[in-house]
Formats: sequence, structure tokens, C-alpha cells
Amino acid sequence: MKAEEIISSGILETYALGLATAEETAQVNAWMQQYPEVKAELDAIELSMQQYAFENAVVPASSVKEKIMNQIAGEPQKSKAPVKPISALWKYVAAASVILLFGSIYFNWSYYNKLKESETALAQSRTNLETANSKINAMNDDMAVVKNKYSRTVSLDGLEAAPDAAAKIFWMKNSGEVYVDASNLPTAPHGMQYQLWGIVDGKPVDGGMLVTSNSGSQYHIQKMKSFGKAEAFAITLEKEGGNPTPQGKMYVMGKL
Amino acid sequence: MQEIKKYSEDELVAALNMQDESAFAFLYDNYSGALNGIIMRMVDDKQLAEDILQETFVKIWNNFKQYNQDKGRLFTWMVNITRNLTIDTLRSKGYKKQQKISQDEYAVTNYKESSGATNIDSIGISKQLTLLKPEFKKLIDLAYYFGYTQEEISKQLNMPLGTVKTRMRSAIIELRKMMT
Repeated sequence: MKAEEIISSGILETYALGLATAEETAQVNAWMQQYPEVKAELDAIELSMQQYAFENAVVPASSVKEKIMNQIAGEPQKSKAPVKPISALWKYVAAASVILLFGSIYFNWSYYNKLKESETALAQSRTNLETANSKINAMNDDMAVVKNKYSRTVSLDGLEAAPDAAAKIFWMKNSGEVYVDASNLPTAPHGMQYQLWGIVDGKPVDGGMLVTSNSGSQYHIQKMKSFGKAEAFAITLEKEGGNPTPQGKMYVMGKL
Repeated sequence: MQEIKKYSEDELVAALNMQDESAFAFLYDNYSGALNGIIMRMVDDKQLAEDILQETFVKIWNNFKQYNQDKGRLFTWMVNITRNLTIDTLRSKGYKKQQKISQDEYAVTNYKESSGATNIDSIGISKQLTLLKPEFKKLIDLAYYFGYTQEEISKQLNMPLGTVKTRMRSAIIELRKMMT
């Protein structure tokens, strides 16, 4: 920027009025170094402002000068604070506070660890509780079936393929719902599944697949397809997913 | 201005840098009225104004090393200290800026008729100064005496910032013509 441009831009007035930003101030200061005519212009502006202020002067009370002169005369030169020896008591206090600090750090650390342990134990207990709760819920479901007043029990006894096998059917007289307790069936071989059949009018009708692959599931009473009527129930071992008509060996059977 | 030419400005600055108390007394005698006038524009309370004036001069004495002649006139530096201390004091006393503005507005609009007129009579301001256009006078006073930023003036007078800047310059040019 040329000196004339700076002068006509109005920035010098801004500066003289104390309104310039830090950036503008730095800029004006740099220009003043560079251009004597900028410095002269600023000086003229400031002088006119100064004269303006003098025209509006209000003489203060004479006591003010006295107070100020006393205050500046009375102000001692900044002196360095003398180094005072620390008394023995304070040394002990300082040492004690350091010991307390370290003790506190140790306790904080040890309590923090204990807290972490407790949190882990708590999380483990929660998991156990959830497992137990789900077991209880499953048992309650089982009990509800057994205790149902419409429930009619059919014992299915072991046949040739597995003489020790047994199963129980709970047939709800009112709704025709069928539940099976398959907990006394031998574990189904891999790739095979037990299938329930209802014998209706002398013919086997698909009653659904029994879940035995998931560990634990077979020990619960499972809901099967409903039968309005049936003469007997039987369970055969079929390929996974079952067959439309029984192909495999019959394990248990019982008449209604 | 009836300065007793005891010190030139350069000599005065040099002496004050040496913490010369008689130079400081000279500074006070010459500038206290003008600085007090600035404070009195912002503060109604005469006693409070004199407290601020006292604080201002003590600050000038203590911080004199910060004044740099290359950056402007001594008086301009002192005005900045005065204005900032006054504004800080008003703020610490709970004057909200908004309140101050509305009061100022009142003061500015009544400037010519009442307070301004009596001031002129009592202090004996040169007749020329009263010839300064009122809108220019308002601009200079808001900035110089009340420490308003140009943005604040722009809002206060409902005038675009660019206009504030150019008018400010015109105002000072006119002021300069009158002062010489």
C-alpha cells in the first residue's frame, strides 16, 4: 500500500481513536516505520484529538494530585521476599504430608484393584443368575403342562429297538395340544431325528420333529402339533427333518 | 492550551522512564484536566471520576515503560489507559453495556441543547468547536470518549460499518481544520 492510500483509508483515525484491532495496530506500526508521511499524518490526527480533549477538560479537585503523588512516592520498589528458614515443626509436617500422600496413593491403588475384582465377580454372578432364571422358567413351563387340569398323560413304552426307552405325551383334552417329554429317549445319532406320530383312524399322521440335537432341549417338555383325536402316539427315528410317512424304526408307542 | 514549556515531550518521556517524580507532577498538571474531562463524559459521579483519575495516573506511573514513542503520542497512550480503566470500572460496578448505551443515547441527543451548552459556557470552549457538525461530533465522542468499537457505533446509529469508517475520517478531517 502506498502512503497516500493508507492515509485516505481511514485506518489511522481508527488507530488514533483506540479502535484498531491487534492486527491493524501491528500494520499501522509497521507502516509508520516505513513511511515518514504516515507517521506525520498520524501525529497530526492524534494532535487534533488531543486538542479536542483539552477543549473539553474538567479540572479535578486539587486533592487528587496530592493523593496520587503520595501513592507513587509511597510505593516501595519491588523487593525480593527474604528466604526464611523453615522451622523444624514444618519440616515434620511436610514429611508427614508426603508420607500421607504416598499412603493415600497406595490405598487408592489397592482399592481400585479390589473394586475391579468385585466388578468381575458381580458380572459372573449376574450371568449365573440369568442361567438359573432361564432354567426355572423352562421348568415352570414344564410344570404348567403337567399341572394343567385338562392334561391327559399317555405313557409311551420302549419297543424292540430300545426296550429301556420311554416318553410321555401330555394331550390337552380341551384344545388338542400335544406336549412330549422326551427326556428318556436315547440320544439321536448324528443326522437323525425323532419324529412324533399320532395314529388317527389307523394311519400315522405327522406330529412334528423332536428337538434333541441342542444340548438340554430334549430334557424339556416340547410342544408338538395338535391332534383333535388320536388312538395312539408313537415316536420313530427318522432322517433329519422327518418323513411324510414313518420309514425308520419305532422306539416308543402308547395307546390313548 | 497553556502548557508551561518546562519539558518537551521527548524530555518528559525520558524523565518519566527514569521515574522522575517532578516530571510526573508536571505530567499531572498538564494532562489531568483533559483526562478527567474524558472520564467525566462517561461517569456522572464526580467523586468516582476522580477515583478513576487517580487510578489512571498511578497506572501511568507504574506502566510507563510500556509506552513506546514510535507508536504514537504520549497523550493518545494515556487516553487509552484512561478509557479502558473507566470502562472496566463501570463494568465492575454493574453497569451493563446496554444500559450504558441507552444512557449515552440520551446524553448524545441532549448533548447540544443542555449539558453541551452549559459545558461550553463554563469551560469556555472555542466557538469554532460548536461549528463541528453534530453527526461528526457524535461519532468522535462515541469512539473517543465512550470507547465504542466501530461495530458498536454502527449498531448504535443504525449506520453501515463502511459509512461509520468514512464518516469517522471526515469528522476528524473537519476537526483538524478547526483546531489549526
